[in-house]
Amino acid sequence: MLNYITRRVIGTIPVIILISLLVFMLVQAAPGDPADLLLSDEATPEDIASARERWGLNQPVYVQYWKFLVAALQGDLGTSFRYADPVLLMIGDRLPATVELAVVAILIAVFIGVPLGVWAGARPNSWVDNVGSFFGFFGISMPSFWFGIMLILIVSGFLNLLPSAGRNTYGIADDPITGFYILDSLLHWNWKAVWDGISYIILPAIALGTNMLGILMRVTRSSVLEVMHDDFVRTARAKGLSEHKVLWRHAVRNALIPIITVVGLELGTLLSGSIIVETVFSWPGSGSLLIEALNSRDYPLITGTVLTYTFIFVIINLTIDILYAAIDPRIRFDK
Amino acid sequence: MKLGTRIMGAGFATAALMTAAAMVSPVDAKTRVAVGATETISSHNPHGDSISMGYGIWCQVYGCLGFFDFKTGSYKGMLAERWEIDKKDPNVWTFYLRKGLKRHNDGKELTSADVVHSFWRMKNDPQSRQTQNVKHVAKTEALDKYTVRVTTKKPTAPLLEFLFDRVMITSKDLYDKHGSKIADRKHPWGWGPYKLKKIEIGQRIVLEKDPGNRWASKSMPDELMFRVMREAEQRVTALLNKEIQIAQFIPPHLASRIAKSKNANLVPTSSVELMFLAMSPKHKPWDNATLRKAVCHAINRDAIIKAILKGQANRLDAPIGQGQYGYDPEAAKKMKVEYDVAKGKALLKKAGMVGLKVELHTPVGRYVNDKQVTESMIPMLKAIGLDARLKTPEWATLWANVQKGKVPFFYMGRGGVVDPSPAFAQYFETNGSPRIGFSNANVDRLLQKERATFDPEARKKVLNQAFAEIVKHQPACFMWRHKLLYGIAKNVSYKPTPTGRIWGYAISVK
Repeated sequence: MLNYITRRVIGTIPVIILISLLVFMLVQAAPGDPADLLLSDEATPEDIASARERWGLNQPVYVQYWKFLVAALQGDLGTSFRYADPVLLMIGDRLPATVELAVVAILIAVFIGVPLGVWAGARPNSWVDNVGSFFGFFGISMPSFWFGIMLILIVSGFLNLLPSAGRNTYGIADDPITGFYILDSLLHWNWKAVWDGISYIILPAIALGTNMLGILMRVTRSSVLEVMHDDFVRTARAKGLSEHKVLWRHAVRNALIPIITVVGLELGTLLSGSIIVETVFSWPGSGSLLIEALNSRDYPLITGTVLTYTFIFVIINLTIDILYAAIDPRIRFDK
Repeated sequence: MKLGTRIMGAGFATAALMTAAAMVSPVDAKTRVAVGATETISSHNPHGDSISMGYGIWCQVYGCLGFFDFKTGSYKGMLAERWEIDKKDPNVWTFYLRKGLKRHNDGKELTSADVVHSFWRMKNDPQSRQTQNVKHVAKTEALDKYTVRVTTKKPTAPLLEFLFDRVMITSKDLYDKHGSKIADRKHPWGWGPYKLKKIEIGQRIVLEKDPGNRWASKSMPDELMFRVMREAEQRVTALLNKEIQIAQFIPPHLASRIAKSKNANLVPTSSVELMFLAMSPKHKPWDNATLRKAVCHAINRDAIIKAILKGQANRLDAPIGQGQYGYDPEAAKKMKVEYDVAKGKALLKKAGMVGLKVELHTPVGRYVNDKQVTESMIPMLKAIGLDARLKTPEWATLWANVQKGKVPFFYMGRGGVVDPSPAFAQYFETNGSPRIGFSNANVDRLLQKERATFDPEARKKVLNQAFAEIVKHQPACFMWRHKLLYGIAKNVSYKPTPTGRIWGYAISVK
């Protein structure tokens, strides 16, 4: 197992370098100059030339990339053109908000999508299956930006139940410890801030998690439907186990592998999906930061954020592969 | 427990959770006004951005020399009590600072050394995005503790347009002691009516009234918060929900939601942003003035304002409009280009360009209904015989190309035009910028003359001569100024400014 993990970790290095090269080149190839976009409407050609010089944009692209790579290998992703702060620090500040949102979205998707899928798979063509399938298709087909705006209009606007934008109410939270607002509020034993955090996160998390919920529901349903006809299920029934035990102790455990694969893959999709949802809900995470960076062609910030996302995605995939072994003893990586 | 019961139970639990969450109310500060803003500053450095909202925020925190008062149509001093131009040498301006102004937190008095330092910092700070505001300034000197002399490179009558509410006065002693980063982050102390309480980049900026400050009146909110809300739907919902009290820039199609609401009023103000259709004479066939004139006659501005902008715009008969410096209604009448399809057709025929293929470039989502507006122009151009097509590149691409002078025909706005001098020099003077690439000796002469004319009436006259000359050649068709719609909570009184800056002194909580 250790050999496998080491091999996989080493294997990620060229992937990340290749992606950094690709992102760097794509960003440079995109039309639009950071100096033109970031300086004022009234900036003189001299101001623009001076900014280009300061940001190293006059150097050949391969020199810029080499400098970036050398610095990145030493843990320095450069300094944002727009914000004039180290990119790593900025991502560190904003990433917890995105991760917090993604975690809540996953929880919503898993805790609603999996049981719905299990029930639907266990009772094919019943009303539970029909309702579950409706939610599944709804989740899969609903664009998150549209669904987000609808949630704002209905839940915040019409029903006036939850706040429409932002991450928290000003003046309620204590000093951050981890950067995860709800967790920090729990650590401070500040229940008002906990509820406040939950009230702000519910709508963006629903908007973000609904697509995953739909996919998880569909995958779980078909996976459970498949294992319910396997021999071990017949054996379990023959032993006289209750239908509940057969379903949850035998069938669901064996149906978990594709579900975990989908959760892993969808985690990456959630991160990219958060870019849109964060913009719709003014959620101050790394996704909205990336949008701002793209709009102003802030090269270091774009490259740094995309690389961070890549790194997270690679780590998630690795974790999922390792989880396979824990869930299914038949899978061994050392052979 | 049956499945249905479980689902119902989960539903009730969720509803209970949502209700409990909804009951969380903000911590009661004294009086707080939250503004749903469309843009945000990007750093603690007061010179690090060049955006309208940033200038407004920093001017209220650090203080600035003065500002343009739209009520009186003149400049008013803030940190500068008065100013004068040397009668013998129009390059020399003298600013007299108010005495006894106390800085936040430590009470240090404002001196001319701080003003000289701020001019220096704007020019030399590597993060400064405001160097253009001091480009006309050759030298700044402290004559005594309260007097500053500013010497310009050339006589510059509209100098205050560059300096007032754009040059933030930061502290020399704090900069010298701590350096820019620490001074800006840990000691953002100034002489304005508000102290900087918190900046959460991308989320909010919180200002707190300095009660002892000269400009801090009782009616002003104790806390002024700017919340970043880029989506218009969100700003409207947040206003109606009472999450915010002022919502900036409501698009016409959402205006009725606020107009019908019991919680908020819709307050319009005329923007100082000029919308125009630019035709760059350095690109063929736009070097043909007859073609340009034909295009201007083809556009039915009244119909667009009525149907697409829902009446929320003021037509521009001259290059500028009511309330902008130098506007003369009589001169504007003479400059008006009538919508006249027959005339447009005849001019196009005269130019020998019937059936010519042209591409109109437009931003999407940058200005109110920009795509719809330009879409409606396509059949209008076709009506005079032009085969026009619409191009909608992404803003970053379009703007970069416009700035480089690569786009021949485009719809665009120029904001912040209080005194039109800088904008017209930038767009219509030879080498002002490559954007339109227009060059005309008469226009150059008149624009240079107005900058060197210090008598206000004489200057307005020269400005109008320059406008007439520009309209004669029509490198651009001047369209309209949008009415900026603000949603304002009924318990708040505020008259929005045409520049989009939000001043705490103009807000009162009922």
